[in-house]
Amino acid sequence: MMYGVNRTAKYLLGKDIAGRQIAVRPDDTFIVSYPRSGNTWTRFLIANLLYADRPVTFANIEQLIPDAEAQSSRYMKRVRSPRVIKSHEYFDHRYPKVLYITRDPRDVAFSYYNFSRKYRQIPDDFPLERYVHDFVTGALTSAPWGTWAENVGTWVAARNGRPSFLLIRYEDLIENTETELAKVAKFFGLDPAPEKLRAAIEKSSAQRLRELENKEGSEWVTTKNKRSDIPFVGNAVAGGWKSKLPASAVAEIEGAWGPLMVSLGYELTERAAGGSIGL
Amino acid sequence: MIEDLIQIAKRPLGYGSDGRNIDVFDDDTFLVSFPKSGGIWTRFLLANLLYPQEPVSFRNIDRLIPELEFAKRRMLKRMSCPRLLSSHEYFDPRYRKVIYLVRDAREVARSQFRHQRALRRIGDKRLAGNHAIEQFVTSFIAGDGSDYGSWGDHVSSWLVPRQNANDFLLLRYEDMEAQTGLELARVAEFLGMKASQDSIAQAVERSSAVQLSELEGDERSASADDSSGHDLAVGRPGAAGSWREGLPETCIADLETAWGPLMKWLGYELALAKDHEARARVEPVSPGAPAR
Repeated sequence: MMYGVNRTAKYLLGKDIAGRQIAVRPDDTFIVSYPRSGNTWTRFLIANLLYADRPVTFANIEQLIPDAEAQSSRYMKRVRSPRVIKSHEYFDHRYPKVLYITRDPRDVAFSYYNFSRKYRQIPDDFPLERYVHDFVTGALTSAPWGTWAENVGTWVAARNGRPSFLLIRYEDLIENTETELAKVAKFFGLDPAPEKLRAAIEKSSAQRLRELENKEGSEWVTTKNKRSDIPFVGNAVAGGWKSKLPASAVAEIEGAWGPLMVSLGYELTERAAGGSIGL
Repeated sequence: MIEDLIQIAKRPLGYGSDGRNIDVFDDDTFLVSFPKSGGIWTRFLLANLLYPQEPVSFRNIDRLIPELEFAKRRMLKRMSCPRLLSSHEYFDPRYRKVIYLVRDAREVARSQFRHQRALRRIGDKRLAGNHAIEQFVTSFIAGDGSDYGSWGDHVSSWLVPRQNANDFLLLRYEDMEAQTGLELARVAEFLGMKASQDSIAQAVERSSAVQLSELEGDERSASADDSSGHDLAVGRPGAAGSWREGLPETCIADLETAWGPLMKWLGYELALAKDHEARARVEPVSPGAPAR
């Protein structure tokens, strides 16, 4: 009879997750990506640039660059302006300034599969091909962010080319970390001096993040109470799908999103059939 | 503060409207359009086609095809499934089956300007000549104050991820006007209905009054402009192409510069902007014929 009592109570107490309902401020900057696309690494890189004077760890990252999908609206309200916020949302026209990170969906799919196991959303023996099918068709229960193509496509289509939008590919960030980070630094209005960039890169290395995860993973909001035998910090490589994904799964992803992938510079294994979903 | 409390109290009672936050079911179908794109008329056409037993009027349309912006949560929950809902939202991944209605950006801008004028939301008397509409078009392009993003945000957010999906149907308002019956037949097919020529003709016939009143609405706001002493030419309101008379050249150029490639892709001929000027501030969907 009563609708949404729980939600109402949480709302009154300010304990509702900010997520898509976050109150956006005009001086906010968002770090947006589909899940498993290098957002956490980028978050550490930027935090280490912004707060070079202190160590950035999983214990304080939520204070420095809060996660809108993990924190309550009350928490987000208390963060001082100008805020830098992490988000996985598909296009939201209210976001004033956006750094968008994209990653090859074939790598995202495999990484997401391990993540879903970590979160106990699927058992260890869940067939990878079935998972990829759900991933492509948007049937994952854990994905309120739309499919990969919906997330990337809506942002890039509506915003690419504007001064308030910077598109970065995870693959480029791995290959030319310093060059790409210099772009990011400029976008954030920060000094892109090489020694500062290098220090931030050093402090955000995959190895360091892994050590931090081992130490603090049980406290961090994202990994708390999740399986600790599967790491959150991934392998930090590009192209791992080539050895990990079955050919049929690759074909399904390319068949669905081929043109969009090509327009983002991701080479296909074969000519994807039809479609003109590109940008 | 009191406003807030009222909103909060409405929620558990089901009297609030959820807008973007409605609970979506897998078998829902959405009629989606940017505001002032001919959504009301299209809604009547669909309602008259789906519910031929009763003529549709403003009294029952909200029950037959509710508009998300206003529909009460309680009512939406009680509707029988599958539901057909009307929405102004930009892309929402939860919408599975979507009829997307698009209209020429220049026409939408002109129509929204008149509408807002009539509602007295805009209209600075101190602005002489074309300044008022120029100011409006600037904020229209930026999407200022819009809950649904800008026209370009809206259209591309739906087209890019969904244009080739089986459960996505693109309708152009201009085609709806030019060949109402044919377009309505496409919608019927999309909805999996067997609609006879007669039933389509009847739906068109029964909706013509609404088409007219939507046009008259435009006309009325247009005359409101005239009485306020502004020099705005009045074309045949609502008719495709009448933006040529209603919009100053600078506005047309601005709109075409902002969204030229997207407009062209949709089949809207550019009047002013040369190709090289229509730089894709909004990099639109790839070239190729629109899915139709």
